[in-house]
Amino acid sequence: MDFSRLINAIQLSPQSNTVKELLVLNEKTKEYGLVLTPNDVTTMITFRNKVLHDYARVELSNEVLKELIEVYAASPYMDPNHYVETLNDLQEIFYYLRNETEDKISDIKLIDQIMTFFNGPCAGSVELVRSEMEQMAENFRGDLIRGNSSFERDDKTWN
Amino acid sequence: MELNQSQDHSRSVSSITLNRSMLKQSQYTLSLLNEGQRAGLISSQEAYRIQVEIMQVLQYLIREYTKGESTSVSSDTAQGILTSLLYALDAYTLQFTEPEDAITHLGVETVKNIHSKGIELLQQYFEEAKQLYQTIKILRLDVPVDAYNMTIDESLPVFMNNYDIVFEGQNTMASIDYPLAVDDMKLQGVFYMKQYVKRFLLETKFCRFFLHQDVLFVLKNFGKKMRFNYSIELFNIFELILNNAVFSVLSGGSANQIRISDVQYNELDQLFMSSDPDKRSKLIHKAVEQIQEELDIDQELIAYIHLYRDELIQRVNISAEIASFDKLIIKEEEEREKSIVFMLHEHDRMNDMKMRELVDRIMKSDTKADKVSLIREHVVSLHDYLDLLNSECLYGDEYDSLFAAFWDIELAVFSKIVFYEELRGDTRAFLEIVADGTEAREEWDTRFVEFMQQLDEERIEAIGHLIYDIDYEEISFY
Repeated sequence: MDFSRLINAIQLSPQSNTVKELLVLNEKTKEYGLVLTPNDVTTMITFRNKVLHDYARVELSNEVLKELIEVYAASPYMDPNHYVETLNDLQEIFYYLRNETEDKISDIKLIDQIMTFFNGPCAGSVELVRSEMEQMAENFRGDLIRGNSSFERDDKTWN
Repeated sequence: MELNQSQDHSRSVSSITLNRSMLKQSQYTLSLLNEGQRAGLISSQEAYRIQVEIMQVLQYLIREYTKGESTSVSSDTAQGILTSLLYALDAYTLQFTEPEDAITHLGVETVKNIHSKGIELLQQYFEEAKQLYQTIKILRLDVPVDAYNMTIDESLPVFMNNYDIVFEGQNTMASIDYPLAVDDMKLQGVFYMKQYVKRFLLETKFCRFFLHQDVLFVLKNFGKKMRFNYSIELFNIFELILNNAVFSVLSGGSANQIRISDVQYNELDQLFMSSDPDKRSKLIHKAVEQIQEELDIDQELIAYIHLYRDELIQRVNISAEIASFDKLIIKEEEEREKSIVFMLHEHDRMNDMKMRELVDRIMKSDTKADKVSLIREHVVSLHDYLDLLNSECLYGDEYDSLFAAFWDIELAVFSKIVFYEELRGDTRAFLEIVADGTEAREEWDTRFVEFMQQLDEERIEAIGHLIYDIDYEEISFY
């Protein structure tokens, strides 16, 4: 049984509220010109499910995607023309990081770190964010081997 | 988690038939849902509702697992939590004697409720297992059988201290070595452990009907017969004791007598050889009944003995087929007079510092003769010899020089260690065992086997005779 695929697919079923719950967020984001269509939401969930499958993970809620939509809307680098595409990239970076940090960091902290770089030194470039996060993941693993995680040491910074 | 399929193959509820053979012991609730749908006891909408609710409970459990810090986990973790969830649901549905009643409850109760009740049941079973374990600790047998003692002192506490009902209910946690006479390995988690400690206790209680020195007598002679150190072997004590009690009754002894004499042994041999399998079965049934009456055994223990009885009948029949009962009926093995003083004193061990100094001196010595004389002068304990050989302070033919300086009795002791597996219950002559060799683990083992192989046959046979003069109890391997 491909457990990851099975569980993650449940949220795309007609009975699932996932799509509706994400569309409700348009009320908050439309003032920034960010509006998702039902098709956009389905695309994002399908993409997320593929990422989850690739990383052998299971997600039983849409809290991460909801949080990413909200923090992206508040970003100075938000771009309505690349809305879905950027969110997908951010989802991919998030789950990469979640695996690399061996479930030792909370979702909120991970998203906070990603967006700190996205809004700051990376100036809205997901490629730069990805590169920074790869370096961070490497540092994290090194710290784990040495027995001191900078995450655990300090909530705000990695270094 | 015992599934009763011994009743009718199928059963009617109103006009609906449920096929019990389709129900599985593992993931029972899921098989109930499948079979319930097939039989029309549960609608597809209800089945879908239950599946969605299972996922909702899983979602809740994952949140609990991550302490609210994350909404996702690795697939392996999620699968483990789902299995634990289903295990708790099974605990609830399996308590109904009739699966139709379980399906009815699945149809009217929420999965969340069923899961909570399942967890409560598992908690209750866990408490019962812990209680049984406490009684085992009080009633334990005083026997030098490592697997028995380590199971009580090390393995069972691992389960008792670490069992995780909510997230790993299906996990048995502990690795248990001591084999029960009758074990259902298909069970998992607390169902397995509860059954294990319950049966372990029953077996222990049974053995306590007999004199302690008689139990030790059987164990010691079992080790001698099998030519192994029974303290470190995996075998079941209850079987040996019950077997001998049955054999005692069948040869005119009383039920609480487990020492079998040569005369009794010969009587039993004649009795079994002159009986057909059916008669042997009847004899054993009758003997077990007599044991129950004489020892005034309670119903629970009787039921357990009955579970084992067929196994004993089968063993007696197999022994009759090969016309040899000597490994089944444990009688007193002849004591051979030991005329040789044991040369490798177990208790004269040197301390670590002295051992290191000696190893250094050996390695700095120039000639083989110097090395050998240093060793022969300073080492008297078997443990020190083993430490020294394992330290690899000798090279190549230096080993041969050392072994050549050994007396035959010393070579016999080392043979007993190096050829332990081969000597254990093997029917081959020692000469043959040496010629065939063994799977060596260290360089010194390899050298020792080669050294033994180049000795003349007469000397190997002489060493072989000495081996049977050594009790394994005299050699502590640790």
